[in-house]
Amino acid sequence: MRIKVDKKKCSGCHLCEMVCSLFHLGVINTEKSAIRIRKDDLDSSQNIPILCNQCKEMKCLNGEEVREGLEKKRFIWAIKRAEQCPFDALTVFGENAYHCDLCGGTPQCVKVCTPKALRIS
Amino acid sequence: MVLDRKIAFIDLRDGSIEITPLSLDLREKFLGGRGINMYLLSRYYSSSLDPFSPENPLIFGAGLLTGTLGFGSRINITAKSPESGHLGDSSMGGEFGAELVKAGLSHLVITGKSKNPVYLLIRNGEIEIRDAQKLKGLDTVETQKRIRIELGDEKVRVACIGVAGENLVRYAAIRSGMKNAAGRTGMGAVMGSKNLKAVAVRGTLDISISEPEKYLRYYLNTLKKLMETKWAQALGKLGTPLLFKYANAMGILSVRNNQLTTVGDRGHHLEAEALEPYSTGMLSCFACPAHCRHRFSIEKGRYKGTKGEGPEYASIGSFGTKLGNLDLENIIYAVELCNLYGLDTISTGSYIAWAMELYQRGIINQERTGLPLVWGDGESVIELIHLIANRKDFGNILAEGPFAKKVFGEASHDYLLEVKNFPIEMTDERLPKSFALGMATSTRGACHMRSRPSLDILGLPNEVLKRIYGGSVSNNFSSYSGKGRMVWWHELLNAVSDALGVCRFLTVFSSPHALQYRQFSRLISLSTGLNLGAKDLKTIGERIYTLERMMLIRDGFSRQEDTLPKRYFSEPVPEGPARGEVILREEFDKMLDEYYRLHGWDQNGVPKRTTLKRLDLIDENQG
Repeated sequence: MRIKVDKKKCSGCHLCEMVCSLFHLGVINTEKSAIRIRKDDLDSSQNIPILCNQCKEMKCLNGEEVREGLEKKRFIWAIKRAEQCPFDALTVFGENAYHCDLCGGTPQCVKVCTPKALRIS
Repeated sequence: MVLDRKIAFIDLRDGSIEITPLSLDLREKFLGGRGINMYLLSRYYSSSLDPFSPENPLIFGAGLLTGTLGFGSRINITAKSPESGHLGDSSMGGEFGAELVKAGLSHLVITGKSKNPVYLLIRNGEIEIRDAQKLKGLDTVETQKRIRIELGDEKVRVACIGVAGENLVRYAAIRSGMKNAAGRTGMGAVMGSKNLKAVAVRGTLDISISEPEKYLRYYLNTLKKLMETKWAQALGKLGTPLLFKYANAMGILSVRNNQLTTVGDRGHHLEAEALEPYSTGMLSCFACPAHCRHRFSIEKGRYKGTKGEGPEYASIGSFGTKLGNLDLENIIYAVELCNLYGLDTISTGSYIAWAMELYQRGIINQERTGLPLVWGDGESVIELIHLIANRKDFGNILAEGPFAKKVFGEASHDYLLEVKNFPIEMTDERLPKSFALGMATSTRGACHMRSRPSLDILGLPNEVLKRIYGGSVSNNFSSYSGKGRMVWWHELLNAVSDALGVCRFLTVFSSPHALQYRQFSRLISLSTGLNLGAKDLKTIGERIYTLERMMLIRDGFSRQEDTLPKRYFSEPVPEGPARGEVILREEFDKMLDEYYRLHGWDQNGVPKRTTLKRLDLIDENQG
């Protein structure tokens, strides 16, 4: 299971970021979200939702002896892993990186994405 | 916590900054946003306060729910208006309000005047006053870009003024992003008078939520119901331009300064569908599920290369039919030009329409105007926008807004359609009587958004309206019956939604199934822990509206000023679907009586002492 992005449909509302932090941390903080919207509100460029691709080969975990299955279920990751991601897909803020754990199977971001830029595949 | 957000008092005269908590008592009485703004403004307001004086406070107020999953995240900007000379207040969407909240602040009160141009930088609760000399003369988008470059942070959100605000054009706007504007009542001119070019904000603080799990569950449920309404779906697809078609078909548009009220079949040039070839997608404000904002690009022709967001229905009407102009590309360009200069599109269109009618009637001529002001002449309109923003030639006169009456003389007065010295917008209210009353009673002068009483247009059964409004309201929009109640009810609800930062478009506005007190109450309680029931919220709405009214009373206003332009009473609509419609004075007065009674104001429109006591406004009344 992964979350598929159709960036053309993204309206840049940030609701996905808000519910991600709310679901995992009990607070709203768009910086502490595993999904982030790259948006320039002074430009006509596209908004781009960025989040973990759920790669089969997890290059992010290179050099670590950990169980991939368990790590996939974790939301807060070490920054080093974000640096190893070939797609720069993880959010880094402060001391942590934030990784999409798919909310345990029911991703909240998909539920609030009214333009349907996010869907489960 | 949501309730921990602070208020900052900034004096630009000496650079002093004081940041303090907002009391719980104030939150419970006024919530936030427009509510607390009005409480603050009332502390400074007097009939003698000059809007351009350093003492006039420029107040920014994020809604109580702004920054949360509160359906909109808006901010109100409030001051005494240099455009009307009375109460000024404007609501802005986009991301600026939420960013202020993320930075730990909810309200800013800016007084004084800086010697040199400055901007404010707010970062996670810290405020700094910075030099803005290099930003002088820049347009509203370039200003924001330069500030981001200077700070090396592309996530900074900026509210700023353009050349129009710097030049104290009385209807200058404050702008953020490509399109967001606190447009009405000249708040950008107040900012200019303080030598304040911009407010830049960056916040990364947590917004903690009282009951996160329940809150998320309730939000998802509410969101689902809202997005199932036809209104929300249509809005997300077409944006506010969808309203143009209905207004034209009903005969409630301003055409040629309200000499007519429809353009008939020719209206298809300006309908939402006509915008589609230019639209490159739909955008949302922060935390809004409706995504009603068009992004556009003009790829060829005279205006090739023009890009931006919008235009909204109000701007299409103001630069379109109101000026007899059906050239959509010209309208889009004119609106974009206003955005860059930082001019309010509705007022700019309205004053140009006034000048065009004066020109048509020979009250002014080309010797005075310097260019032909003929209906539908889009090129002259573009030229005039440049002149107004730069206060050059005839533009310098029109930059004075309603105060230009002095220059044009008595013969000009009746052709500026205004209420409380503030111009009628892109619509005509001779047919829908609820709108007519709302225009007359609005606390910021002619304004369709203070009440926006449109449920009687939907043809709902009378029983449904009775259930919503708690009394009889006719479902015939041309009837006067019950419309005093309707306007009163919407004024209160909208005061509350502005105090919360919830977008008007998602509330009971054009759908009975959209948000109102019940949903507000749950969202407040689950996110902040404040327990305020539907009745409590309605009382807060009354308190805000009556407090606004008291400021107008200080200006010497009473029943006499709760009226409409002469044309509405004396000239029946000459043709089209609204043909023959006119406001009957006696019926209008009956609506007004009912409206005053419900507000607890006397026959003269003055709040009764018992009402002030009930709303705990006795202290505020002393000013």
